[in-house]
Amino acid sequence: MEEVCCCLKVGQDVPDFSIETFEASKGDFGEISLETQKADRKWTILFFYPADFTFV
Amino acid sequence: MSTDTKFVHLAWQREEKMLENVRYPMGSDATGNLSRLFGVYDEETGLALRGTFIISPEGKLLNSEVNFYNLGRNIDELMRKFKANLHLAKNTNKVCPSKWKDEGDKTLTPSAKLVGKVYEALK
Repeated sequence: MEEVCCCLKVGQDVPDFSIETFEASKGDFGEISLETQKADRKWTILFFYPADFTFV
Repeated sequence: MSTDTKFVHLAWQREEKMLENVRYPMGSDATGNLSRLFGVYDEETGLALRGTFIISPEGKLLNSEVNFYNLGRNIDELMRKFKANLHLAKNTNKVCPSKWKDEGDKTLTPSAKLVGKVYEALK
């Protein structure tokens, strides 16, 4: 069967990424990178949702 | 994490009372690149599907769950998976059965002896 998905699979290493954030706890903007999470020995939970101001 | 900008995250968190206790960082994936990497980017709408991913401190993807737009996620199941990951990271010879909920619940130790005897081991 033709490969249609080139995305990550469970069990694979996640490549380093870095994203801009709004840090509600500080009321300020920030940045999170997987590299830093790994250096700090932290677990990461990524929680995607469709859009701000929506409902569930 | 959504494809909104950090500015919209700020505005939403300040406006919506349901979010007043939010303490986690709200990430912006305005390019959709991270959503694409995790296979949750919807090219037709430019939005991300409801995907949840747990990554270990070593950077390995351990769990993945994706729901369509119209079904919210259950935080109890996310916490169950997260606690199980913590337990399994410390007890690398164990496995957590589907009914495992928290520390103290029964785990299994895979071995030749256990084959065909899971029912007895969980009793």
